[in-house]
Amino acid sequence: MGMRDLGRRLKYLLHRDEASGELDEEMRLHIELRTRQLQDRGLGEREARYAARREFGNRAMLEIAASDVWGWGPWERLAQDARYAARSLRKAPGFVAVAVVTLAVGLGMNTAVFSIVSAVMLRSLPYPEPGRLISLWEETPRRQDVGTLNSSGNNLGGVHARTRTTVAAANLMDYRKGAAAFEGLAGVETARMNLTGNGVPERLIGESVTANYFTVMGVAPQLGRTFTEEEDREGGDPVVVLSARFWERRLGSDTAVLDKTVMLDEKPYRVIGVMPRGFEPVTQYGNTEPVEFFVPAAYPKEQLAAHGDHDIGVVGRLKPGATLRTAQAQLDAVSAALAARYPVTNRGITAVIVPLRDDIVQSVSDSLRALLAASGLIVLITCVNVANLLLVRAVARRHETSVRLALGAGRGRIARAFLGESMLVSAAGCAAGIVLGRALMQVLVAAAPQTIPRLATVSMDWRVFSVAAAMTIAAGLVFGLAPAWQASRTRPSESLKATERRGGGTAQSRWRGALTVTEVALSLVLMVGAGLFLKSFTTIMGMDLGFRTEHVLAMNVNLPVLRYKTADLRLAFYQELERRVRALPGVQSVAYANRLPLRGGWSTGIEIENVSESNLSPDSQPVNPGYFEALGIPLVRGRLLTEEDRKGQPYVAVVNLAFARQYLKGGDPLGRRFRRGPQAVWFSIVGIVNDIRRGGKTKDMRPQIYLAAAQTDGYPVRLADFAVRTAGNPRLLANAIQRQVWGIDKDQPVTGVETMEELISESVAVQRFQMLLLGVFAGVAVLLAMIGVFGVLSYSVNQRMNELGVRIALGASPGRILGLVMQQAGGLVAAGAAFGLAGAWGLTRFVGHLLFHVESHDPATYAAAAGILAVVGLAAAMGPALRGARVDPAVTLREE
Amino acid sequence: MEEREAIPPGTLAMLILKTLARGGEMHGFEIAEAIRRHSEDVLQVEEGSLYPALQRMLMKGWLTGEWSKTAEGRRARYYQVTPAGRRRLEAELESYYRVARAIAQVLVAE
Repeated sequence: MGMRDLGRRLKYLLHRDEASGELDEEMRLHIELRTRQLQDRGLGEREARYAARREFGNRAMLEIAASDVWGWGPWERLAQDARYAARSLRKAPGFVAVAVVTLAVGLGMNTAVFSIVSAVMLRSLPYPEPGRLISLWEETPRRQDVGTLNSSGNNLGGVHARTRTTVAAANLMDYRKGAAAFEGLAGVETARMNLTGNGVPERLIGESVTANYFTVMGVAPQLGRTFTEEEDREGGDPVVVLSARFWERRLGSDTAVLDKTVMLDEKPYRVIGVMPRGFEPVTQYGNTEPVEFFVPAAYPKEQLAAHGDHDIGVVGRLKPGATLRTAQAQLDAVSAALAARYPVTNRGITAVIVPLRDDIVQSVSDSLRALLAASGLIVLITCVNVANLLLVRAVARRHETSVRLALGAGRGRIARAFLGESMLVSAAGCAAGIVLGRALMQVLVAAAPQTIPRLATVSMDWRVFSVAAAMTIAAGLVFGLAPAWQASRTRPSESLKATERRGGGTAQSRWRGALTVTEVALSLVLMVGAGLFLKSFTTIMGMDLGFRTEHVLAMNVNLPVLRYKTADLRLAFYQELERRVRALPGVQSVAYANRLPLRGGWSTGIEIENVSESNLSPDSQPVNPGYFEALGIPLVRGRLLTEEDRKGQPYVAVVNLAFARQYLKGGDPLGRRFRRGPQAVWFSIVGIVNDIRRGGKTKDMRPQIYLAAAQTDGYPVRLADFAVRTAGNPRLLANAIQRQVWGIDKDQPVTGVETMEELISESVAVQRFQMLLLGVFAGVAVLLAMIGVFGVLSYSVNQRMNELGVRIALGASPGRILGLVMQQAGGLVAAGAAFGLAGAWGLTRFVGHLLFHVESHDPATYAAAAGILAVVGLAAAMGPALRGARVDPAVTLREE
Repeated sequence: MEEREAIPPGTLAMLILKTLARGGEMHGFEIAEAIRRHSEDVLQVEEGSLYPALQRMLMKGWLTGEWSKTAEGRRARYYQVTPAGRRRLEAELESYYRVARAIAQVLVAE
């Protein structure tokens, strides 16, 4: 039975038109026969036909009932609904366009931003049981500066507070012994080495790690093995583990690579292992250059005795079940014991641990959270806008709904018609949203500062897209269906009597007003936020660095210690390079130092003669005489460094104004002396130069000392940065300088070639990204709010046509009508602005710490945002208002 | 106007089957007329609703429908009861009589 039944149904499906034609014919015959019968009984032809039809009933409905029998009714009706919806939407292209664009923008933006946030912040790290991984720092009381900071700027990707430092390797050994909650604590820091013997010499980034590093991270090599404890000891065999990238790109995935040697800093290293492709070295986060190799840390004896040298990063893995709290308590005990044993170096020093993931994303998490909140607001605005659009549309179709009800359509059927329409619009909006979201995500990833960790892992987050889509569609359904439902409950006879234009009741217009006010308010919040970030960014860009950045090209020439064993050899190299480069056409001046501004640095503790205050720790740099000219740092008084300030001559230094201001209470530094430790030599201050913001636009002007690079026994750091000031485009000289370097040493790579302008641009990349994104958000929000205001007022003017016509007929001037509509718009905008300002006042507090020299309650920004919104809102209202003013009373009154 | 009763729900199929079982081949209008005639004009088939019912019964396989010509030469679909339709009629009649008897017993009980 079942099968045959299905067979018959299929037959009907295939011959549906035929079947319904037959049914129609049967019914017509019936009515005809009945008519004839009634005529035979004496009725007139017309009356008979009418009576026969009445007795027969609603033929259309009967046909539907009959075709239901064929078993495909619900499906047919669905298709019919869709066809119907498509047809009715074709008649409203404006509505469709606005709704689809709104959905696409709202969903696309939110998904793109959230995809980034999710990849960077929420997804777990690519290690087994990543929740047990921590990073360990040492903290010092705020006023006490620690001797030397790690000059490589290696901070495991995070930006740490001023009081937080990297760890002393000597202390690490005690933490390992004393804290049982850890499965392992591993030391790791960036190692930069020159790779030679493989074509063009290159400077590679690697990690110098303790033997247990790979066990702690929980990743095994894909080939060979990792380090033994013996290899991780001073004087151990030089061995290296390669990254998958190194192995694939430089060695062509040679499986016989084990026991071969690679030349790093002129020294042969035996390859013992290759890491798998997915392994993310812990210093990789936030760094654009790939980590390509791993060498044993093999801390030398002196380092393991120096409890005050904080220069390694530490990652650790907690034992299963161990908590951060127990681990921290154990570390506190160790710190206390260390402080008792080594009071000079360890008093006040404590070890602190943070979950590794928090540490990695810490630098960007606040900005990302702010952007996420902003994109959440966009979704809300989208919901409100879509709701508003559908509300307007549903109300506008009340008359049509009444007609359909009167013709016998069921309420469910009518609801389905609306549903079909919402669904079609939603589907189109979602599809467009996916396309836009993907494109936007790619743009964002490309535009985002590369220092954002894990940016490469960003991919479309479908869960978020689904949630956002579901929210928007739900809003659309609720607001699209509610009026339809209400319309279906009114008696058709009543609503048919009302003219078409008077569809909306007061409840609905109140809803629309509320939605528009919400929309205006939300977009004002975004505008205020964007305004604050814009102001913050312009403030940053307006900061004076104190030196001239244009036409300066900086680069890194790191001389391997094995080849350039002494500081004098290194100095000789730089002096020779300076001599050669100076001869190049277009070069105006040449600078070299340990580090150029914005490229890291070195600070040292000093004591000043006849100054009792200790713990002075100015930024310090050994520089060549041309440094000041090349960077455009003007001399204030005294003299600059000269060629005469070399080894064997009196030790001299130049300081800046901040040095005099902060360390000498404004006293004259000229002729004063300082030294870098009780046993160190005295430097005489011979000149004062202007302050510079060494760290970049957002950084302070700190006290600074400049030592003579040629007095190589006066400083412990290595010369490594080289720069030229040129007459024209400095970029054009990059190759020529590279050739001069190779002219001196064919194995010496040049890296980090960047103009000062680029360095500055990179240093504010996060702020710029933030500002741009918020700006775009605010723009979109304002656009949506405009659409909202425009939609509501257009509709309201439409509804008031008669009233306006009457007013004009009674003598109201067009200006007065204009005023009337604008008044309504003004009310909406003013209410929205009031709520928006209040909301912004409350919400911007949370981004206050992301702003630079701008109060989160900056009145000018609030006023400007509200002003712009008012202008835009009223501009959106102008169209409908003008239409209202042009109403022809003769036409509208005739319609009445 | 004379008093007419709507056909009790659920009995339309039974009436159609019985009418066709008695009269052989009929088209829709004839079925409607036959029901009215046999009930001495008391039962009024809601004419339109006959057709969805006929469609349903065709679908169930209780009837077959054949197109042919009426006496006046008009094309019409003539319905006939199938063996399955007869079985169905018997089952319906049996349950109908059982219910009718039961109702009658309740009504005549003292």
